[in-house]
Amino acid sequence: MDAVLVVALLAPPLVGAALALLVRRAPQAAAWFNAVTMPVSAAAAAAIALRLAAGGAPVIVGNAWRLDALSALLALLVSVVATLAVWLGPGLDRRGETPGAEIRLHRIYANLFACTMLVAVSTSNLGVMWVAIEATTVTSALLIPVRRTKAALDASWKYLFIGSVGIALAFAGTVLAFVDYATTGGDLELALNWTTLRTAAPSLHPEVAQLAFVFLLVGFGTKAGLAPTHTWLPDAHSEAPAPLSAMMSGVLLAVALYAVARWKAIIDVAIGSAFTDTLLLVVGVATIVVGSASLLSQTQYKRVLAYSSIEHMGLACFGLALGRPGVFAALLHLTGHALAKSTAFLLSGRIYDRYRSGEIGTASGLLGTVPATAVLFAATVFALAGLPPFSLFLSEILIVQAAWRAGHAALTALVLVLILLAFASLVTHLQRVLFGEAGRDVSRGEPASVPLALLALPVALLAWIGVTLPEPLRMLLTHAAEVVRP
Amino acid sequence: MDATFSRLTMTGASAMLLLALVVMWRHHVPAYVTAFRMQSVALAFVGAVVAWLGDVPELFLVAALILGLKGWIVPRILAGMEARRPGERELHPLVNTEMSLLISGGLAVAAYEISRPLAAVVSLPTRGGLPIALALILVSLFIVVSRRRVIAQIVGFLMLENGIALLALLGAYGVPLVVELGVFLDVLLGVLVMQALVPGIEEISAG
Repeated sequence: MDAVLVVALLAPPLVGAALALLVRRAPQAAAWFNAVTMPVSAAAAAAIALRLAAGGAPVIVGNAWRLDALSALLALLVSVVATLAVWLGPGLDRRGETPGAEIRLHRIYANLFACTMLVAVSTSNLGVMWVAIEATTVTSALLIPVRRTKAALDASWKYLFIGSVGIALAFAGTVLAFVDYATTGGDLELALNWTTLRTAAPSLHPEVAQLAFVFLLVGFGTKAGLAPTHTWLPDAHSEAPAPLSAMMSGVLLAVALYAVARWKAIIDVAIGSAFTDTLLLVVGVATIVVGSASLLSQTQYKRVLAYSSIEHMGLACFGLALGRPGVFAALLHLTGHALAKSTAFLLSGRIYDRYRSGEIGTASGLLGTVPATAVLFAATVFALAGLPPFSLFLSEILIVQAAWRAGHAALTALVLVLILLAFASLVTHLQRVLFGEAGRDVSRGEPASVPLALLALPVALLAWIGVTLPEPLRMLLTHAAEVVRP
Repeated sequence: MDATFSRLTMTGASAMLLLALVVMWRHHVPAYVTAFRMQSVALAFVGAVVAWLGDVPELFLVAALILGLKGWIVPRILAGMEARRPGERELHPLVNTEMSLLISGGLAVAAYEISRPLAAVVSLPTRGGLPIALALILVSLFIVVSRRRVIAQIVGFLMLENGIALLALLGAYGVPLVVELGVFLDVLLGVLVMQALVPGIEEISAG
């Protein structure tokens, strides 16, 4: 049964990529095939998540795959966002504007990208997790410059290079921890298995464990867009095609933070949580500062969304450092961010298609030109600004509360101010986009389409989670938080 | 036996660090590629020594892969990249030669300091080279941030990978094979993607 679940989770994107690769003539057919298979992945992830939410045993296949509550949460987020991105990706629009070759490339790499993220959260081996996260860089970097503009190529290069160097440092950290484990005389074949390493953690050497964690945090932190190595993110996320931005911003950042949390759980057993908590607090707050402070001065709407991602990753990182309630809040925050940010990016793609411009000043009067898109876009931006009833409001309250209870009064105040600053900036930008005059050459009216209706779903979900925090999700998050902070 | 083992691996590791320093004072891109190729050969040598004297036969396979991939295929890709854009051989790095060498020296000292707890807990005969591996990692990182030419940055990144591989070899006789193979695949794909992107971009610094 477990093997079936893991295959159902990982195979659909792989098959989708293979099909797009082989069927050169009919990329549209491959895209439609994708639209049918990707939900299979999401269904498998949902089945796994429900089982773990009910307190079931982790899904384990041999020594290779292991999904506990934390993995299940991430697998669910990745597969749901990938499904949304598949449905709004090129090839499914009726007008058939996108060239066939571009559809094909997109389908190949977007599927491989989704697959590498799913492998990263499902593997039980921390070395394989690293390999998979490194592979996300390669699969996504190729897709950013699909239209081969200078800005996109530059962004892609910066992303690929900074990402590769950063992630190499995470490997150095992985190797350091492995070397440390090897000195304890354990079984080396299974040494990088998370459970093995965590069982052996009490006998790790404190100073080596600290050194390893610093490398791991810098490395995976680079991929998660944490300061000070976040510089690639605004370029990459704003230049990528919308469906890819949705996956990169919505879930790839969360997957990188997942890697940090996995390692934190081990290092904490070895040396107590004070060391990792302090580092995460400092890095988290610095990241929130960078994200919030840069928001207001942006002139392009996709860059606004990108800097908002930095701010939210900072908040999640901050939450990870605040004990189990903080981890719970951080994971809820990642969940809300995954839904809201991916939807916002997908909508930004529709806005770009209409205005042919990424500038906030040009893309104004959205309510008049594309009313349905405008309303949904406003809802996602409100969600990202932390307004009720959306779930990010709840998670921000919980993070602030956890910080207060952990005794960080000054930091709590600072973070609150930064959240308000981000809120004000987002709303300022939003009202400029929503109202005002659209250019004369911009046509009016919403192209009726199924995909747009689909995007109302995550918005409704965000409100539902924000108002009720459904029991299965609460249980899943509780169990996931217990994985990080037992 | 252990003394020979230690001496051979130390020699290989030291050669690797020296070859990283070549990037600091040579200003020709082909010299960088050659330095990387020789460094990879030295890494393969260390791998083979550990396979033989440490009695880990699977490391012979890893050493052969290092030789083939990093000693032959990747340098060829790099040379191809340079051949497509000849003429721009002179470099104006962000940090000049004297300062670069000075900083590298400082980084090597720092590496000794940082790696002290690590060297203290590892009991393998190869542990003497651990500070060198860490120094190589730091110096490579410095190459990445201080050079302007894209190819020089890529060479720095690849040397960083070599440094980590050296750390794994000396500290624990290599990581599990499945991870090792994954790393090789990622390096190859990464370099291929980099060479696909480079023609479209001019000199941009990684910062």
